[in-house]
Amino acid sequence: MTGQRMLVDIRHFTLTPGKITLLLGESGIGKTLISRTIFGLMPEKELNITINEQDYSDYLAGAQCREIQSQGFFVFQEPSSHLNPMMTLSDQLNEGTIHDPSSNNDILKALFPALTDHERHQLLNVYPKPYRPSGGEKQRFLIAMAFKKMALLKNPDTIFVFDEPTGNLDNVYRNIFLKMLIEVHKTIPLTVLLITHDYSMITELTTRHSEIPDHIEFHEMCVSDNRQKQVKFSTESYISWLRDLQPAVSQRKSSIDPILRLEPEIEVFGRTLLITNDSTHRSRSSLDIFEGDAVYLKAGSGVGKTTIAKIIMGLQHATRFNLNLKGLDLNEKTPINVWKNRIWARTMSMVFQHADEALNLSGKVKDIFRGLPIPERSDRGFIKSTLETVFEKNLPPSFLDMPVAYLSGGQKQRLNLIRALILEPDILILDEPFNGLDFNTMQRILDLLQAHQKKGKSFLIISHNEEIIDRFVTPDRIYYLYRDRSDQERSESP
Amino acid sequence: MTATTTGEKLRHRLNHFVTLKDWLWLSIWISGILFIWIWNLIFLNSPALHQIENGFLNTIIIAAMVILIAAGLGWGITLIDDILYRRFPRMRIALGFLINLIRSVPQIVGTLLGYVLLTLLIQNKILTSAPLILFSMALIIAVFLFLEIFDLLRERIAHFRKLDFYDAMLVCGISEHFIINREIILRSSPMHMINKLIGIFGGAIFLLCSVDFIISVGLSTEISPVDLPVTLGSLLAKIDSKQDILAIGHSMTHWNYMIKLPFEHLQGITVASLIVFTLLCIYQIANGYGRRHRL
Repeated sequence: MTGQRMLVDIRHFTLTPGKITLLLGESGIGKTLISRTIFGLMPEKELNITINEQDYSDYLAGAQCREIQSQGFFVFQEPSSHLNPMMTLSDQLNEGTIHDPSSNNDILKALFPALTDHERHQLLNVYPKPYRPSGGEKQRFLIAMAFKKMALLKNPDTIFVFDEPTGNLDNVYRNIFLKMLIEVHKTIPLTVLLITHDYSMITELTTRHSEIPDHIEFHEMCVSDNRQKQVKFSTESYISWLRDLQPAVSQRKSSIDPILRLEPEIEVFGRTLLITNDSTHRSRSSLDIFEGDAVYLKAGSGVGKTTIAKIIMGLQHATRFNLNLKGLDLNEKTPINVWKNRIWARTMSMVFQHADEALNLSGKVKDIFRGLPIPERSDRGFIKSTLETVFEKNLPPSFLDMPVAYLSGGQKQRLNLIRALILEPDILILDEPFNGLDFNTMQRILDLLQAHQKKGKSFLIISHNEEIIDRFVTPDRIYYLYRDRSDQERSESP
Repeated sequence: MTATTTGEKLRHRLNHFVTLKDWLWLSIWISGILFIWIWNLIFLNSPALHQIENGFLNTIIIAAMVILIAAGLGWGITLIDDILYRRFPRMRIALGFLINLIRSVPQIVGTLLGYVLLTLLIQNKILTSAPLILFSMALIIAVFLFLEIFDLLRERIAHFRKLDFYDAMLVCGISEHFIINREIILRSSPMHMINKLIGIFGGAIFLLCSVDFIISVGLSTEISPVDLPVTLGSLLAKIDSKQDILAIGHSMTHWNYMIKLPFEHLQGITVASLIVFTLLCIYQIANGYGRRHRL
C-alpha cells in the first residue's frame, strides 16, 4: 500500500522450487511489484508491505531474503537502468559474486552469435550509454550476467527473476535465451520466475522443447474482486485458440477500388521507405486497404512503421508521399486542416501504442469519452455499456469515476482502444494494439475487431505479435516496410 | 486503551501534518498573523491598529486580485498565442514582440509607471471609488506578473504536444480548444498553476510594498500617494513607522531598550514583521506545495 491506495493484494503467490514459473498477465497488474517484493527491492519506508503476515522490514532482515539477494539474480525489464554507466561492461560482468572471467566466453558467444571474438571484445570495453550498446545488447548482457551467476552458483536454494527479459529482443534472440534457460535448468533445477506478456513464447516453448512440463509451469495473474490472483495457465487453450483463429470476411461487398492507397515510396527524415507485399522485397507495391479489410504492416524494429502511420494520419510531415483516401488525394503539400476537417474521427482514426501517453492520466475513466464527436459522450449508461464491450460485464458504476492513473496497463490499453473503436471510422490504424493485454482481453479485442470488420470497417495493424496477427489477416493482406538499400548505401558512403 | 489509541492517532496525524510543509507554513502564517493582531489589540492604540488592519487587508486584497487577473491574462494570452501559432504564425511574431517588450521592463519600474497613470486618473476624477482604485493597482501589478503564468502554460502545452497524448485526442476528433483548455490546463496543470499563483501572490505583495514604500518616501515628485489606499508599503514609509524601525537599530547597541520595542514601537515593527513574515511564509508554502506534488 502507498498512502491510502492498495497497489497489490494477493493472498497466495507460489513459486514451485526447482521449476521455472512463467508468469503471464496484463501489464500493470503487479507482476513486477510482487517479484521485487520477494527479492527485497521495495522501499520499506514509502510502502506498507506485509509478506507472509510478516512486516516487510522483518522480511528484509531475515535469512531467506538475504540468501535470495546474495545467491539469486534479478534481470530488470528496463536494461538501461540496471547497468552502471561508470563501469565498462567487462568490469560489470566480473563484479562481486560473478567474478570469474573464465566462464564469460561461452555465455557471450551463445548470446551474441553474430559478433566475432574481436567485436565481442570491443563491446565489453564499452561504458553503457543511453544509445550504446543498443537496448537488445544491454538486455542480452544482463541475461549473460544471470547465466554466469547460475554457472557459479553455490547454493541452488535461491530465486532467479527475469522480468520481461525479451522485451527488447527479436524472436531469434528470444528463442536463444529460452533454449539456454532450458539447457541450464536441465543441469541445475533452479527456481526461476520468468515474467512476460509475450504469449508467443508459449508456442516456442511447447513446440520446440518437448521436455517442457518437467521444467516449466505456466501461470497467469489476473484480478478478481479487486484482488490479484495467480492461476494456472492452460497452454493448450492458447494453442488451440490460435489454431482456430480465422480472418474475418466482410459482409459488405468488397469494392474493386481500395478506400486507401498509399504509394510505395515515402521520403521522410532524409531516407526513403518502401512498401511491398512480397516478403522477399523484390518488388514494390502500393499499400491498399479495402472496405472491411484488415491489413498487417510488418517491419523490423525502428524501420518506421509508426512514422508511416503518422504520415497517413497527417501527424508527421514527410518530404514526399502520395495517398488517396476515398478519392481524396493527399500528399506532403496538403494542409493539416484537410485531415482535421475531413478525415480525423470520420474517415480515419488511430490507436497509439503507449496507452500511458495516449490517455490523460489526470482524468477519470468517464472523461476519456468527453470531447469525442458523439452525442452520447456524457451519458453514463452509454459509457458503461461501451466499456463493457472490452471490460467485464456488469461493471460497477464506480469504475467510471476511477482515476485513469490507478488502472493497470492492460486496462488503460482497453480504454485507448475503445475510445477510437467507438467512433467507427472507415479505417482504424492500430499501433501495437495488444500492448500489455492478457490472453482473454486479446481474444475479446480480436472478436470486437472482427465484428467491426464485418460491418465494413477496415484496420491497418502494426504489431510485433506476428503469431496472432498472421492468423488474423489473410496472407495477401500482409505488407512489408523496408528502407531503400541504395539510399542506405548512399548515406553510409563518405 | 482507547485514550492511548486516540493519543497515537493524534500523534500520527500531527507527524503527518508536519511533513506537509505547505499546510504547516500556512497554519504558521495564519497563527502568526492572529498573534500579531491580538498583541496589537492589547498594546497598540486604536487609530494606529485601524490603519494597520486596513493596510494589511488592502495588501492582501490587491495581491488576491493580482492572482485572479494574472491567471486570466496568462490563460487568455496563452490561448491567443496558440491560435496564432496554429493559424497565423506571422502574427504570432507581433504578439511575441509585445510580450517581450513587457518582459524587458523591470517589474518595479513598470509598476511605478503604471502608478503615474493611476494618479493621473485619480486627479482627473476618472477613478473615484476605492474598489476601482484597488482593482487598478492590482491590474498594474498583474500586467508585469502574468508572464509567469503565460510561460508556464505555454511550456505545458508544448510538453503535451510532444507526447502521443495530443495527437491521440486529435485523431479521435477532439477539438484543439478542448484538448488545451480542459485536458492540458484544467486537468493536467492545476497543481503547476497553483504553485505559480502562490509565487505570484508573494511577488505581488513584495512589488506592492516596494512601490508604495518608494512613492511614499517621496522618491517621485510626480505622484502623490495621498489618494491611494493605504497598504503595508505606504504604512512602512510613514514617519512613525520609520522611527520605530530606527528604534530597532538603537536597541542593537542598547540591549535593555529591546524590551520596549514590542510595546512602544509597535506600529513600525508590526508593519515590518507583517511584510517579512508573510513573504517568508509564502515562500515556504510555495516550496512545500511544489515538493509535495513533485513539480
